[in-house]
Amino acid sequence: MRHPSFIARTVLVHNNDVEAACRILNRILGREDILDQFRRTRFFEKPFQFRRRINFERCKAIYNEDMDRKIQFVLRKNRTDPFPGCS
Amino acid sequence: MFRNQAQKLMKKFTLGNVVQKCIAPLSVSAVKCREVIDRREMLRSLPSVDEGTAGEKAVDVDSLIGHKNVFPTLDLPNRLFNGIPFKDLPIFNIRVSPNNTIISFTDAKGVPNLNRSCGVEGFKNAKKGTNVAAQATALTIGTKVLERGIKTVRVRVRGLGPGRMAAIKGLQMSGLDIVSITDSTRVSWNPPRPRKQKKL
Repeated sequence: MRHPSFIARTVLVHNNDVEAACRILNRILGREDILDQFRRTRFFEKPFQFRRRINFERCKAIYNEDMDRKIQFVLRKNRTDPFPGCS
Repeated sequence: MFRNQAQKLMKKFTLGNVVQKCIAPLSVSAVKCREVIDRREMLRSLPSVDEGTAGEKAVDVDSLIGHKNVFPTLDLPNRLFNGIPFKDLPIFNIRVSPNNTIISFTDAKGVPNLNRSCGVEGFKNAKKGTNVAAQATALTIGTKVLERGIKTVRVRVRGLGPGRMAAIKGLQMSGLDIVSITDSTRVSWNPPRPRKQKKL
């Protein structure tokens, strides 16, 4: 189904601050992988490039997951001693 | 053949040897077009192309907290802007590509009224695809629309290129009141096969 125009991918401008609105829009488009997909489909992506990209993204996701876990561990809050090793 | 004749001629003169030395490298013509050793290095050192996507990579955690009502709601089509409901506001369509920017002004239904592109504006060839050209074009068409007595508009942008931000800014500079910005870049996750990659 088509997304309704002027509802999807739309930001409202407040106080005539166009740049801020554009930045919000661009950031969302970038986060949602829309701009990347647009750039990727300008030229044909050869199968070996596709494979390499997918593998790279997989590795990156695994790394990020582990890193997130590590950060959550370091930042965990309910410790008996809030600042271990500092007393 | 020419070279042989020239050599024969040269030998007749006493200065033949000297001149022959000068001519010899010319006729060998082992001229390399360009020395391409580190193209990747060179490309990396070049400044990145402006695609009008400022803030794409920005990581602002709480930037949206200050902004309220940035995103459209279901009642947006009927909300009044300068006394006109949103759905009846005229539209600026901006088509951006790396090589050109085309701005067209349509009414709320999408019937085109005015057209302007960087090429029409007087920028030719590579200059069409610059942010300066886009801004100038937007200024021109913006003032034309203002003369018609239209002040409040919405903007729809399609494509990436240097003119993306510049065109919107130009419209704003011409004195128009931009209510909303919409991105309508055509993106597909299963597109028909695109053209082959450029050889570098």
